Amino acid sequence: MTETTTRSLDDPDIWVDTPATIYDAVPPYPPRTEREAEFYHLRDGEMLLNLGPQHPSTHGVLRVVLKIDGEQVVDLDPVLGYLHRGVEKICENGDWHHAINQCDPLEYVASMFSEAMPVLAAEKLLDLQVPRRAEYIRVLCWELNRIASHALFMGWLALDLGGLTPILYGFIERDEIVEMLAAVTGQRVLFNYLRIGGVNGDINHDFMSRLADWMGRAGKQIETTTRLLNENEIFVRRTKGLGVLDRETALRTLCTGPVLRATGVPYDVRRAHPYSVYPELEFDVPTRTEGDSYARYLLHVDEVRESIRIIDQILHELPDGPVMAKIPRLIRIPPARAFVAVESPRGQYGCYAMSDGTDQPFRLRLRDPSFFNLQAVGLLMPGNLIADTMAIMASLDPVMGGIDK
Amino acid sequence: MDSRLRRRLERAFADRLQGPVNQRQDTTEIRIGAEGVTDVMRALHDDSEFKFEVLADLAGVDTGTEMWVVYHLWSAQSPDWLRVIVGGLSRDDPRVPSVTFLWNGAEWAEREAYDMFGIIFEGNRDLRRIYMPPDYTSFPLRKDFLLPDDAARSPGEGFRHMEQTHQPAEFLRQPVVRRGKDSLAPNRGPRQ
Repeated sequence: MTETTTRSLDDPDIWVDTPATIYDAVPPYPPRTEREAEFYHLRDGEMLLNLGPQHPSTHGVLRVVLKIDGEQVVDLDPVLGYLHRGVEKICENGDWHHAINQCDPLEYVASMFSEAMPVLAAEKLLDLQVPRRAEYIRVLCWELNRIASHALFMGWLALDLGGLTPILYGFIERDEIVEMLAAVTGQRVLFNYLRIGGVNGDINHDFMSRLADWMGRAGKQIETTTRLLNENEIFVRRTKGLGVLDRETALRTLCTGPVLRATGVPYDVRRAHPYSVYPELEFDVPTRTEGDSYARYLLHVDEVRESIRIIDQILHELPDGPVMAKIPRLIRIPPARAFVAVESPRGQYGCYAMSDGTDQPFRLRLRDPSFFNLQAVGLLMPGNLIADTMAIMASLDPVMGGIDK
Repeated sequence: MDSRLRRRLERAFADRLQGPVNQRQDTTEIRIGAEGVTDVMRALHDDSEFKFEVLADLAGVDTGTEMWVVYHLWSAQSPDWLRVIVGGLSRDDPRVPSVTFLWNGAEWAEREAYDMFGIIFEGNRDLRRIYMPPDYTSFPLRKDFLLPDDAARSPGEGFRHMEQTHQPAEFLRQPVVRRGKDSLAPNRGPRQ
């Protein structure tokens, strides 16, 4: 005979005695800095609310402690480090080629940019001339990846405001591009395609036919997707005038990319400090002056159009030739220092590399744009309602893989 | 290479520069000491002949013998990146003035450099660890922090423990909060 027991929620024994968790908003130690003391001191009527780390609106494992007064956010304290895996240390302990696939998952939405960092840095340290065909293929892949990332951004922004439809369209767009890149790189997300001195393989027929197919309707598809949002009254009223960042503040907060350009600063690394074959290509740097969430959204749409323009030019001008420079398998880079930067979908992705004459990087510092852009939430959120914090955070488009490194 | 920038830098910071202005590819490099950071960075940011408005990067470096803080700046007036190396910081107690008075966005970058190298940025009002847990005592990107699988580089031993405790300055030693056996759970976040 088996004995059955009924357990009710009133029974104290069914609750496991858990230690203090990450869900406790107040840290279990005295404040370490002036700022922390100020934040965790509550005035009358204020309370702390823990958001994240596993929350769909924080775009990854970001935890934000909100100090709220009623429905209004008074202050906030972002807590990073949940995805930290010490990429810079790992890169120092592998050789230059290993760094490429270690940097791949940093910006997992547009990994073609983060994997470019050790590649471009090593090329600059070696003074290496990359074949022109490889440069064009790189730019082609970068721009495709930018569109894929921007398509997802529009969907995410709408999703955080409660609209489910645009993200489905965004994923359709992204999936087509990702399949296209998978045809040439063999991977859907972490491409590992760029190599020191070129790219891993030449583009193939599968890729070209998919690309030609997609280019035929790309412009139209963008219009369809954006028509859902551009004049959607709910969307516009929840983003217009919210999270306004002015020019000076954006520069001082080290924002880059669409966040900075939405405030009227035409800082785009592709033009400000040209790299690869961008000087030969014709495109504009769209800017807006409003600096709010809606301006950031519209800027992303404009950038997609510019990217399509660039891809169109590349398809017409793609030169023939090899896709890899002739370099030895084992690269020993003479002692030197180099800084490279690219314009990723989120802003300036930078890399400061030092070599000491061995086959391993001595120091590989990665500068992630969303790390700096995310700092702006501390300026933008106070004074807004909790529900609007989502619209603001989504419009900054953080990717936690790169922020936590 | 921007030779005009080189001449301007030599003229403006003659008494601050340690060594010549280096130029290679598209980068101009100057080297200063920690005592000159506030003046030089303010001048680079504010003066109409420089106008380095964008701080492109802030990185800490451990050369094995000394600590560096490396700034990269961008200006619309020069085609070059400007690299400012603040060298000669002692490895025991590296201190450098904060640049958050010019770029408040440098706050997190300085927190990262503090977290990874133990460099203390004087004037940063939120200098706490940003990635690692608060009761962590090592500085992972220092050269004497060896990974367990890095046996080839470790002197003699062949294997060294992953976390080498460094002795930070007295006031930074925080009370360590231990929560029984769960405090060493591998999957905990940075603050609990």
